[in-house]
Amino acid sequence: MKLNKNIESCWGAGTFTCRLALSAVIIAIAALLLAGCDDFVEVDLPNSQLNTPNVFEEKATAHAAMTEVYTRMRDNGLFSGNFRGLSFSMGLYADDLDYYGNPGNGYGQYYANSVTVTTAEVRTLFNTTYNQIYGCNAIVEGIGNSTALPAADKDRILGEALFARAMLHFYLSEIFGPIPYIRTTDYEQNRHVSRTPIAQVRALCLEDLDRAVSLLPLDYLAPSRTRPNKMAARALVGKIGLASGDYEMAENEASAVINETALYQNVQDLAQTFLKQSAATIWQFSPANNSFGTLEASTFIFNAGPPTNGALTQDLLAAFPPGDLRRQNWVRAISDGSTTWHHAYKYKATSGTVAENSIVFRLPDMYLLRAEARARLGELTTSKEDLNLIRNLAGVGNTGAVSQSEILSDILLQNRLEFFCEHGHRFLDLKRYGLLDTILSQTKPGWDSDDALLPIPEAEILLNPNLLPQNPGY
Amino acid sequence: MKNFSLRKAAAVLLLLNAAGHVSAHASELRIPLKPNHIQVQPQTIGGTVSDARGPLPGVTVAVKGKTVLTTTDALGNFSIDAQPGEMLVFSFVGYKTAEITLGSNTSLKILLEEDVLSLQDVVVNAGYYSVKEKERTGSIARVTASEIDNQPVTEMLGALQGRVAGVNIIQTSGTPGGGFDIKIRGQNSLRAAGNNPLFIIDGVPISPDGIGSGINSPVMVRQPSPLSTINPEQIESIEILKDADATAIYGSRGANGVVLVTTKRGKAGKTRFTAKFASGLGSVAKFTKLLNTQEYVAMREEAYLNSGSAIPPSAYDINGTWDRTRRTDWQDKLLGGVAEFTNVDAAVSGGSNETQFVLTGNFNKQTGVYIKDFAYKKGGMRLNVNHESPNKKFKATMNVGYTAQKNDQPRLDLTRDAVRLAPNSPELYTDTGELNWENNTFNNPMRQLEGQYVSHTKDLVTGGLLSYEVLPGLQIRSNLGYTSISNDEYTASPSTIYSPATGLGPEWASVVASSSKRSSWIMEPQAQWVREFGKGRLDVLAGGTFQSQTGSQLVQTATGFPSNSLIYNLAAATTRTTQLDNIVEYRYQAFFGRVNYNWKGKYVLNLTGRRDGSSRFGPGKQFASFGATGFAWIFSKENLLKNSDLLSFGKLRASYGTTGSDQIGDYQFLDTYSSSGIGYDNVIGMGPSRLFNPNFAWERNRKFEVALETGFFNDRIFLTAGYFRNVSDNQLAGLPLPSTTGFSTIQANLDASVLNNGFEFTLRTENVKGRNFNWTTSFNLTVARNELLEFPDLESSPYATSYLIGQPLNIRKLYHLEGVDPQTGIYTFKDVNGDGQITALDDRKTIADLNPKFYGGLQNQFRYKDISLDFLFQFVKQENFGEESFFGMPGTESNQPVSVRDHWQQPGDVASHQMYATVGNTAASVAYGRYIESDAMIKDASFIRLKSLSLSYNVPAKWTKKVSLRFFFEAQNLLTITPYDGADPEFTVVGYLPPLRIWNTGIQFSF
Repeated sequence: MKLNKNIESCWGAGTFTCRLALSAVIIAIAALLLAGCDDFVEVDLPNSQLNTPNVFEEKATAHAAMTEVYTRMRDNGLFSGNFRGLSFSMGLYADDLDYYGNPGNGYGQYYANSVTVTTAEVRTLFNTTYNQIYGCNAIVEGIGNSTALPAADKDRILGEALFARAMLHFYLSEIFGPIPYIRTTDYEQNRHVSRTPIAQVRALCLEDLDRAVSLLPLDYLAPSRTRPNKMAARALVGKIGLASGDYEMAENEASAVINETALYQNVQDLAQTFLKQSAATIWQFSPANNSFGTLEASTFIFNAGPPTNGALTQDLLAAFPPGDLRRQNWVRAISDGSTTWHHAYKYKATSGTVAENSIVFRLPDMYLLRAEARARLGELTTSKEDLNLIRNLAGVGNTGAVSQSEILSDILLQNRLEFFCEHGHRFLDLKRYGLLDTILSQTKPGWDSDDALLPIPEAEILLNPNLLPQNPGY
Repeated sequence: MKNFSLRKAAAVLLLLNAAGHVSAHASELRIPLKPNHIQVQPQTIGGTVSDARGPLPGVTVAVKGKTVLTTTDALGNFSIDAQPGEMLVFSFVGYKTAEITLGSNTSLKILLEEDVLSLQDVVVNAGYYSVKEKERTGSIARVTASEIDNQPVTEMLGALQGRVAGVNIIQTSGTPGGGFDIKIRGQNSLRAAGNNPLFIIDGVPISPDGIGSGINSPVMVRQPSPLSTINPEQIESIEILKDADATAIYGSRGANGVVLVTTKRGKAGKTRFTAKFASGLGSVAKFTKLLNTQEYVAMREEAYLNSGSAIPPSAYDINGTWDRTRRTDWQDKLLGGVAEFTNVDAAVSGGSNETQFVLTGNFNKQTGVYIKDFAYKKGGMRLNVNHESPNKKFKATMNVGYTAQKNDQPRLDLTRDAVRLAPNSPELYTDTGELNWENNTFNNPMRQLEGQYVSHTKDLVTGGLLSYEVLPGLQIRSNLGYTSISNDEYTASPSTIYSPATGLGPEWASVVASSSKRSSWIMEPQAQWVREFGKGRLDVLAGGTFQSQTGSQLVQTATGFPSNSLIYNLAAATTRTTQLDNIVEYRYQAFFGRVNYNWKGKYVLNLTGRRDGSSRFGPGKQFASFGATGFAWIFSKENLLKNSDLLSFGKLRASYGTTGSDQIGDYQFLDTYSSSGIGYDNVIGMGPSRLFNPNFAWERNRKFEVALETGFFNDRIFLTAGYFRNVSDNQLAGLPLPSTTGFSTIQANLDASVLNNGFEFTLRTENVKGRNFNWTTSFNLTVARNELLEFPDLESSPYATSYLIGQPLNIRKLYHLEGVDPQTGIYTFKDVNGDGQITALDDRKTIADLNPKFYGGLQNQFRYKDISLDFLFQFVKQENFGEESFFGMPGTESNQPVSVRDHWQQPGDVASHQMYATVGNTAASVAYGRYIESDAMIKDASFIRLKSLSLSYNVPAKWTKKVSLRFFFEAQNLLTITPYDGADPEFTVVGYLPPLRIWNTGIQFSF
C-alpha cells in the first residue's frame, strides 16, 4: 500500500527528486545506446557465408569450392543428365531420340529443330554454363591469391579449375559456335565481351589444358574417380585435337590415356560399363548422396507406353547389327501390347543404393577417337585395330571396312551405337564429319543447314549487343 | 424519462457548440463565473450519467471552480454537494464534456454524447507525432474503421483499394493469402522489389518482405505476406503518409511512403461486448471465352496441314486416341467452384477514466474455388491496454497481437491448365475414383491436387509506448516493440503426381519443407517539448531509433518415403537435403527530429530531419541524412475570410524534402561464398554467393508537393487538390548483366533519375444532412505520370532495351505488328531500321506504357434512419497484356480464346491472326514468338468496378432494449465494366486466379 502510494506520488503529484531520477534513468539509457551506436549497424557474416579470401586459405573449403563446380555441372547445364543437358536435348536435336511430350514446349522445339532465340531451355543452357565458368574463374583467382593452402592442393585445384573452364568453353562452342572465352571474374569486363572465334576458343582451351595437364597429378584424389586427373585433361585435349583437325595431337593424347593400363581397362561385360567401379571410367560425377539414382536414369527410363518424354528412334535401333551386346545391355523395350517403344537403359537405377554414377569420359571414347585420328592420318591398320577392339567388346566381329572412308563410316556408326544419349556425342560426331545436313535432313523434316548452331539467346544480345552477329538463320 | 434527459443534454451540447469548438480539455473552457456573494446552503445533488447505450461508470463529476469532485459508480449514479447557480462538469474520455448549471432540480439525468470530432479537428497520426487535420503541413490520407469494417476482406490492403488518392493497389491473385501489390505515388525505384512502403503497426515497423522461402509457394504470385496477419476488423485507422513533409522523418525508409496502422483502443465505460458473425460465398466472376471442341479439333488439323506434316502418334487429342467430340468446359470444371467465407469477430472493451482495454478475437475461414476443397484459416487475438495517471502526466499503452494462419492450397494454380487444356481432354477420374492418365496419354491437371501446399504462419506483434511529462511542456517517451513471425511451408509432391508409367513409387515422393522466422525489436526514445510563445506555439521533437531484425530460414528437401501418406514427416524420408540454412541480420539506427511552429493557427512551419544508418550498406556507406520542410497557410483564418459564409476552411500547403530507400536485401556488399547444401564426394559444396560491389550507397528521393484544401458551406463540400513531383536518383538497382558475367545482376548505384509527378484530387460532399437521411459522397482521382528523366549512357547499358529517356519505367518495347501477309499467312512486323531483318535489338521499338493513366474511386454513403448503404466504384484507366499472351501458339496443343477464329487459311485471306501452325513450322513459330512480344498483345485493361457494396440495418434500440443489433450484407467485385477480353483486367502476372466476386451476410450485436 505504501509502495503504491510512493509510486503514485512519483507519477502523480511528482516530487522533484522523483522526476529527476526518472529523467536521469531515461537519459542514461539513451546515452548508453548512443555511445554504442557506431557499432550498432555493423553485423556479423551470416552463418551460411564465408569471406571469399578465407575460402582459399583452408584445404576443406577450397576443395568444397571446386566440388561445387562439379555439383553444378552434374545437376544443371551441358553435362547434366536432366532434360536440359546435352544427353537429352541434343539427343532430340540429332537422331537419337523421338519426342513424345508436349510438342509446344522447348523440347518439342529441339526435336523439331525449330528452337528460337527465345527458347528458355537454350537460354538456360547458355546461362548455367557461364555461371559454372564463373565458379572456375573465381577458383583460379582465389588460388592465385592464396597463401596458406598447401602447394599440392593448390596445384590440383587450380589444374581442375582450368580443366573445367576449358571443357565448358569447348562444348559450348561446339553447340553455339563462337562464344566469349571468359577468364576473369571482373563483371565490368565480362559484360561487354564479344564472341571469340572458334579457332581462338580452341587455342585458349588448349592453353588452359596445357597448364591443367602439368598441374594435375596422374593419381586420382580418391578411387571413386569423381575428381579429374591428368588423363581426364589429356582426353579432352585429344577431343579438341580431333575437332580442330590436329590428328597427331589427338592420337598422341588418346594413346597417353589408353597406355595408362594400370588405371584403365576395358569392361568386358557391358552390363557393368556404367557401374561406378568401372575401370574404363576416366571421370565421373559423384552422386549428391548415396541413395539416389543418376539423373540420366530418371530422364530416359519409362515403364509403360506411350512414353511421356523421349524414346529411341527407329533409325538408331535399326543401326544396331544383330547380336550387338550394346543393344542387349543398354536398350530396353516397353510395349503396351500393340506398340513397342525403346529407351536408353545405360543407367538402370532410378532409386535405391547407388551402383551407378554419371560418367563423363570413358575409355572406349579414346579408342574410337584414336581410330578416327589414325584413319584420317592414313594409318588404316592401326585404326582398324582400335575400331575392332570396340566392335569386339560389343560382340560384333571385326569390321569389313577397307578404305579410309569405309573405316571412317564405321567409326561414325560405332560412335553412335556406343555413345547414344551421352552428352550430344552423335551431334558432335556428325558436325566433325561434316555430315549434319546429309544425315539429319533424311530423318528430320525440320532440319536445315543453319541448325548446325543453336542461337545465342536473344535476352543475352539485348544485354550485351557485342554478342552480335547472331548465328545464321536466327 | 429518457427522452427528457436526452433532449436536455443535447441542448447543453448545442449551447457549447455555439460557444466554439468543443475541446477535449475542459480546462480550456473559460466561461467566467461571477463570484457569488449570496450565501446559499449547499445541497446534495444526485443523478445518473449514461450514454446512448446505458449507464456510464467512472465519469468524473466536478463543481466548476472548486476542488469538489466525484465519479459515477457502476450504475452511473453519483452524488455531490453543490449550490444552485453553480456549474457541474461531467467529463469522460471519448465523450464530449457536458456542463450544466444547477437550478432547483437536485436529481439529474445526464446523457453524454460520444466525441465525434468535426473533420478538421480530427487528430491525425503522423507516426512520431500527431497533428490536427486542419494544421497538418504534410500529405496524409486517412481511412478509418467505418470504411474498413464493412468490406468482406481478410487483408488490410484489400480494404484500401480505390479509396485513397495516389495509392494504387492491385490484388495479385484470387488464391486466399495471395497478397497485394501497393505503390504509393508510382514506381520510384528501378528495382521491381524496391517499391514497398514502410508499414508500421501501432509504432512497430513490420517488414513487408515475403516470409516464405520463395521456392516453396508456386501457387502464389508472391511469397506469403506478413501484412496478411493484420485483421482488418481490428484496425481503427490507417494513415498513409505521402509527401516529404510527412515521410522525411522516416528518412531512409520513407521514399515509397509510409502506412501507419492504428488498432482499436478501448473506451472507458461499462464493459461492452461486441460480436460479429458473417458468412459468404465467392466465385470467379468471369471466364475467358474459348474455342469449343469442334473448333479446337479443326484448328489442330489445320495446323498439321499447314505445316505439311502428318499427325504424329503423340497428338493424342486429334489422332483418335481421345474422343474427338468430348466436350468439357475446363474453366468451369476446375475453377467453377464456390468458395465459402466465414468470419467471426468478437471484442470486449471497457475501463475507467485512467485505464481502458479492448480484447478482440477473430476467426476467418475461406475455402477455394477449385474442384477439391482447400481452405485458408486465420485466427487471432489482440489486447490493447491504455493507462494514464490521474494527473495525466504518465501514460502507458500496450498492444499485444497474435495471429495464426493456416493456408492449405494445391501445389500449383490451375488457372493456366483451365484455359489451355484441350476441350476434348479425357475424364479427370476413372470410375473407381483414381486419377485418369488415359493410358499414359493425358497429363491430368488433377495431379497437381495430389500434392499440396500447406503454410502455417504465426505472428506476434507487441508494442508499447511509455511517456512522462517531466516538466510542463516537456514530455519524454519511448516507443518499444517486438515482433516475431514464423512460417512453415510444405509443398508436397507425392509419387501419385507422376504417371504410373514412369514407375516412380513413393521412393520418388518428395516434399520441400521450409521454416522461416523473423524477429525484430525496436526502441525509440524521444523527447518532446511544447511551448507557447505569445501567439505562437513551438513544438520540438527529438528522438532515436534502434532496430534489429534477425531472420532465419531453413529449407529442406526430403525424398523417398515408404508411403505417400508419410510425406509430411521428414524423418520418414530416405534422403534429406538442406538447401538453405541461413541467418541474416539487419541493424538500423537513426536520430530524428522535428521542429514545428504554429503561429495563431494560421501559419504552420514544420521542419523534419533524420540521420540514418543501415547494415545493408558496406563500411563507409552506412550513414546518410534526410530532411524536409513543410509549410501551411490556413488562409480562411485571415480576417478577410474569417466570416465568409461560403468558404468555411482554406489551406494552402507545400513541402519539399528528401527521403531514401534501403530495400536492397542484406549483405549485398559482401564478397562471400555460401554453402550450396548439395553434396559431392560426401562434402557439401561452396559456391560464390553473388557478384559483389562494396560501394553501393543510398538511393535518394526528393519530393515536392503543393496542395490546396478548401471547405465550403461549413465543410459540407470539401475539396483537396494537390500536385506532387518526386524525383528519385542515385538509383540503387540490381543492374541486369549478361550471363557471361556468371550472374544475372549486381547491386549498383546508377546515375539515373526517375520522376513521378501527378495531381491528386479528393472531394467529399455531404449532399443531404438531415435527421433521418444522410447522403455523403467521396471521390478521389489520381492522374500520375512516371518518367525516366536521366540515364547517362543508357544506350550502352543493359537497360538499353527496357527503358527510354522520357518514358515511364513500366514500359515494354515491342515489335509493331503490321498484320498477316495475305500470301504466306505469317505475321509481318515493322522493320524499323530497314535492314531486311527483324531483330529484337533493332526492331522492338514500339512503346507500350503499362502504368495507369489515372485511377480513383467514387464512394457513396446513404443513411436513412437505421438503414445504411455504402458502395464504392473503383476505376482505372490503363493498358496491359491481353489474354492471348498466355496461351500457346494457335495450332499447338493448347486451347485458344475465340479471338483466333479470325485467322489466315488460304492465300488472299486478310485476317487478324496468322495461320494455325505446329511448332515444327519454324516461320510461324518465330513469327508467333514475335507476336507475343508485339504491340498486338497490348489491350485496353481499363475498368470500372463496383468494388464494394454494403447494406446494413440497425435494429432500433426500442426493440432490442440494451442490445444493439445490426444486420448486414456486403459484396466485393460485384460488377466490372471493362473492354478487356480476359478473365479480369486486374493482375500483375497473367495466369493466376483472378480476384473473386464475394457475397457476404452477417449479424453484429453488442451489449
